Amino acid sequence: MSNSILVVGGGFSGLTAAIEAAELGYDVYIVEKTPFLGGRVAQLNKYFPKLCPPSCGLEIQFQRIRKNPRIKFFTQAEVVGLTGQKGDYTVKVRISPRYTAPQNVDFGLLASTLEGEVCSEFEFGLGKRKALYRSMPFAFPGRYVLDPAALSKTDAVRLAGNQFINLNEQPRTIELGVGAIVVATGWKPYDVTNLTNLGAGSVKNCITNMQMERLASPCGPTGGHIVRPADGRAPKRVAFVQCAGSRDQNHLNFCSYICCMASLKQSLYVAEQYPDAEITIFYIDLRTPGRYMNVLEKVKASPNVRFIKGKVADVQDDPATGNPVLTVEDAVRGEKLTLAYDLVVLATGMQPTLSGETLPLPVSVDEDGFICGGEEAGIFAAGCARMPLDVMRSAQSGTAAALKAVQTVKGR
Amino acid sequence: MAQCTLKPDMEFVRELQAAGGETLKKCYQCATCSVACPISPANNPYPRKEMVWASWGLKDKLRTDIDLWLCHNCGNCADLCPRGARPADLMGAARNMVYKELTEPAVVGKWMSSPKGLPVLFAIPAVLWLVIWWIRAGFNGGQWFPRAADGRIVFGQIFYGDYTIDPIFMITFFGACFILYKGVRKLFGMFKPEGKLLVIGKTKPWYMHLYDVIVEEIITHKKFSECGADKSDRKIGHMAVFYSFVILAIVTAIVAGGHWVGKVIPWLKVETPMPLTYPIKVLANVGALALLYGLGSLTLRRRKLNPKYQASSFYDWYLLGIIWAVALSGVLSQVFRLMDAVKPAFCVYYLHLVFVWMLFAYLPWSKLGHFVYRTAALVYVRMYGRS
Repeated sequence: MSNSILVVGGGFSGLTAAIEAAELGYDVYIVEKTPFLGGRVAQLNKYFPKLCPPSCGLEIQFQRIRKNPRIKFFTQAEVVGLTGQKGDYTVKVRISPRYTAPQNVDFGLLASTLEGEVCSEFEFGLGKRKALYRSMPFAFPGRYVLDPAALSKTDAVRLAGNQFINLNEQPRTIELGVGAIVVATGWKPYDVTNLTNLGAGSVKNCITNMQMERLASPCGPTGGHIVRPADGRAPKRVAFVQCAGSRDQNHLNFCSYICCMASLKQSLYVAEQYPDAEITIFYIDLRTPGRYMNVLEKVKASPNVRFIKGKVADVQDDPATGNPVLTVEDAVRGEKLTLAYDLVVLATGMQPTLSGETLPLPVSVDEDGFICGGEEAGIFAAGCARMPLDVMRSAQSGTAAALKAVQTVKGR
Repeated sequence: MAQCTLKPDMEFVRELQAAGGETLKKCYQCATCSVACPISPANNPYPRKEMVWASWGLKDKLRTDIDLWLCHNCGNCADLCPRGARPADLMGAARNMVYKELTEPAVVGKWMSSPKGLPVLFAIPAVLWLVIWWIRAGFNGGQWFPRAADGRIVFGQIFYGDYTIDPIFMITFFGACFILYKGVRKLFGMFKPEGKLLVIGKTKPWYMHLYDVIVEEIITHKKFSECGADKSDRKIGHMAVFYSFVILAIVTAIVAGGHWVGKVIPWLKVETPMPLTYPIKVLANVGALALLYGLGSLTLRRRKLNPKYQASSFYDWYLLGIIWAVALSGVLSQVFRLMDAVKPAFCVYYLHLVFVWMLFAYLPWSKLGHFVYRTAALVYVRMYGRS
């Protein structure tokens, strides 16, 4: 019997669930797959409802984790096995080596002198990273991570003698006893290479909404300058393509809830940097739940933003100018338009991380990969693993899951 | 913006759904289809607008919509449709509704719209040819399965050309032509935009446009290729059926012409049955083989359709079915005749006549009507400067 709680996933809902449970006096373990906590929110430039930078909300969460001895977290860690039953689970967690010393050694200078560079998954391929890296300046834990695959031969020789780096570190497996589990495995951006008619990710200067967040982020690959990735030019005409692979039986068969708001928000990023930029948002229906209607009103009031009802169904590259060329029917005027833009943003949806993957936990997922059920086993889903949500509602669902988990382990 | 009140015609929506557009209500008007369509023009794209008219039951909009006939039903729109609303099927269903309603008498259109009408449709020619068989058997001394004096099987002994087949089919053929002519007149009337159209510059008479349509589009099946290269099996299948119809029409014309003209100018006479090596007979059999090949490939294609994207309606299967019936009964009656199986030969030949009559008499209400209505629409768009 255990009254500890396991939280799978260290994104916004997982962190919230962990902190809420810990602050109620329960021991919590967070198991996070990537080297840093913060999840998708850490990759955003600003987030709703108040359009804060992620440092704002995440810093508070990180502080609460740091100060609370009841929370233990494991990064680069994955659940690989589960035995027992509700109230008395033994969880096997596999932890991949980080190769750096547990002390918060500042490898900044050393990292910058390394030769080897690889595409940064955190920057969605827009930037490069060294073998020794942190995803962003306020990354938590602040400890650097080493990716040996990205080391050049000279790099490897240079690092070999470093007392704070152990290239021989091995993966290890630990066992945790818990009474309840919160699954907050979150989401991944839908893979644009499936969107063959929208260029399948091969059209220059046609990016995804998450890439746009990185472009606009002050700690992103361009230092926050929204420029065309292919030539670094400032865009004058920017288009947002809504429902790129969403509400589509051939792709994501559901509405991701956040992409309309994301594009409205991003149109504000563009308008802020380039007051003269012409912005067009191509949509089927604009979904602005509840008080988010205000954001739509604000964007609509801007003279440089145009809304066209019609889903973009074709994106081509114009090799001469590097401009993506869109084809769309303006469904209100009944006219087929072919328009060139400097920069095109595909508003892709959220696919649950568990789509196409399996967790060694007794939870079932629906046909789209969202978790349904599992509560009778003391396993509670939170955040976008359950359904598409914005950050605020992710946090709420984290709190809800924490409460259910606490009720499961209480008195054991 | 001016306001107007729309009255949805739910009965019409249900009819459309029954005629092959069952999924039309799934459409959420994203307009992907209009972009996916490789041949829809920029200034008046389709089929998105047809989808919204259909879900509101705007009958008049759809009936007067020339774009229905420009669609060649390749299904690119359906492949990309995010909702599985199958816009290609809706276009087909709307055309089926036009066949049903445009042509008089409308009751035939009703029979043609579902399998329930099939018994009546079959019974009419079945009784007709049976009566003729009965009468002619009387002439042959009560023999229902006679042989010629030299022992051969000659279908003409029962179904005698001069007094039975020829007049009946001539009436049927010209009747169908007249019904189609009226239908085309009505169709043109519906296409006509309100107000007056001024054409600046030279205009061509309609028959020159018809010539252009036949030479540029029909003979080459150009639109089929423009509908996407990956659908080439459809083009070849349709071409095979189309050209076999042309060949068999030529054969029929020569045989009928040879028979009637031969009565005046004896050396032009064409005798039936023709020997197998006779050029006209060879041509006829080439046509029959092309027909079987084309039918086979079109039927296979329909069977392979993924119901998530495209399906086949009763109109599709009726047309394929009746042509199969004509082709198979035609080929089989020749086979039985050559095998000297007198009873099967006459029975199958009788069925052949029934099916051929069904094919032609009901043509204006069937999907085959497209060869006239679509051609007419293609001529019309050229007359009005659209391409």
